[in-house]
Amino acid sequence: MTSLRRPTTRQGSPLGHEGRWALLFLAPTLIGLAVLSAGPILATLAISLTKWDLLTAPQFVGLDNFAALMSDDRFLKAMRNTIFYTVVSVPLGMAIALGLAMALNQTIRGIAFIRTAYFLPVVTSTIAIALVWQWIYSSDAGLLNQAIGLFGIPSQRWLSDPVLVMPSIVAMSIWQGLGINVIIFLAGLQAIPTELLDAASVDGAGRWARTRHITLPLLTPSIFFTGILSLIGSFQVFDQIYVLARPKPTEATITIVYFIYENGFKFFKMGYATAASWILFIIVAALTAVYFRSQDRWVHYQ
Amino acid sequence: MSARTIRRTMLISLLVLGGFLMMVPFLWMISTSLKTRAEVFQVPPVLFPASPRWENYLDMWNALPFATFFLNSIKLATLNTVGQLISCSLAAYAFAALRFPFRGPLFGLLLVTLIIPAQVVLVPNFILYRLLPDPFSVSGNWIGTHEPLWVGAFLGGAFGTFLLRQFFLAIPGELADAARVDGANPWQIYRYIYMPLAKPALATLAIFTFMWSWNDFIDPIIYLRDLETFTLTAGLSLFQGQFVGKWPLLMAGALVSVIPMIVLFVIAQRHFVRGITMTGIKG
Repeated sequence: MTSLRRPTTRQGSPLGHEGRWALLFLAPTLIGLAVLSAGPILATLAISLTKWDLLTAPQFVGLDNFAALMSDDRFLKAMRNTIFYTVVSVPLGMAIALGLAMALNQTIRGIAFIRTAYFLPVVTSTIAIALVWQWIYSSDAGLLNQAIGLFGIPSQRWLSDPVLVMPSIVAMSIWQGLGINVIIFLAGLQAIPTELLDAASVDGAGRWARTRHITLPLLTPSIFFTGILSLIGSFQVFDQIYVLARPKPTEATITIVYFIYENGFKFFKMGYATAASWILFIIVAALTAVYFRSQDRWVHYQ
Repeated sequence: MSARTIRRTMLISLLVLGGFLMMVPFLWMISTSLKTRAEVFQVPPVLFPASPRWENYLDMWNALPFATFFLNSIKLATLNTVGQLISCSLAAYAFAALRFPFRGPLFGLLLVTLIIPAQVVLVPNFILYRLLPDPFSVSGNWIGTHEPLWVGAFLGGAFGTFLLRQFFLAIPGELADAARVDGANPWQIYRYIYMPLAKPALATLAIFTFMWSWNDFIDPIIYLRDLETFTLTAGLSLFQGQFVGKWPLLMAGALVSVIPMIVLFVIAQRHFVRGITMTGIKG
């Protein structure tokens, strides 16, 4: 019934009848885009070229903030820690989730209950969760030290030893985020036609061969998807740092977002904080772009 | 027993063990919250306190205005949820069912904002809210009030719009065409055809928005100043700073703050799973 769709420009407006309705429907979103997301990205660039404490007028300083960041040891440490966090937590979190999803992808009684256990940490706030982990990691009668003590391993200062603190935070974050990836992988696994696996079995393919040549290739879209989510998420680490690195992060624990927070809202160095935000934006955008371009080489869409 | 049965039994045992390990922090939270100060540091640790000390919850509840924090979190989560349901469904309907110039590029732009970390725009948003007047606030502007924490929800969002658009696209166009023949305008089609059919997707969005708002931490600590305005996450963080080492109280506070989300999850597990598999995002 194409005749029901009226010509769109009959009413004389360049938008047409539907177009004017669309404008109405989209008004909140367009305002939001302009003032809360796309607009502020541009504002970030402008503010990053100034020195501004919010109390006095902003002063144009050109690229000084960026130059200063490059020689600010705390910023460089924040970059290093964030990259460490990403490089360790993203692949490890995905690999564990993939293994779990494969194990959970079967019909046994009570499997739903087990899945819930894996998913529960996802819905609870990082603040509350980090508080529990702070207690588990405590060097004073903490559960982890008591547990490793059973195996004769001496107590560790999980949250104050500069070498151990980031891995400790990564471990907690993997524990918390596992459930999301597991669910995406499970959905991907359940979409794989069983006939394909059965046919391969008949042809004599073993369990490993089927996983390697059928399951994994067909799962690459899900792997791609969880990868992008984990990647973006890992550059936003803040809550767990705030709680676990009390009273304030050291050089071993500061992350980019904490650096932005501390300069913007503790020291009121708006120009400096936005310059760091801009660098965060560039890194995430570049990584996302590279990642998307890589998909032709390894992602198989059915 | 065949090799297959043995392997299956081993796998299930491993999964159960793993599931138990996943639950350990929660069990430890509950256990610690009921301990006396002596029991907390007991070696080896006790899982079941000899006589559960329920007073810990009372002490925690009275140490800071937790009832107020609770109400604030509920208020903000509700406002955010309502705002997202309205604004995202409107935009999603336009993208799914209306034809207009620049529809594709505009939707693309919206999707791009999905990958921008929210923290990148923290400073400009703060400056914006500082410019907006509020005669009732101490600062004279929106800083220190709840407005920065919910008004934005009424201005759309990439996640919700994407989720609902996916759902709207699956609604057969003939339904809308038939309504149009009967003289229905786009608003009526949205209100009486698309919205009622989209209830499952709307439920998914509602639950996710509620969870994000409930668990949000960086925004409350940036915008809120007075104790009476604090949310549970902000309050909990303050509590942590004041009661260092008082684990039973801290664990009681943590547990009370996560219980609403756990209950919501258990009731609405289906919607959580759908939301993740349809768009795959958690904030």
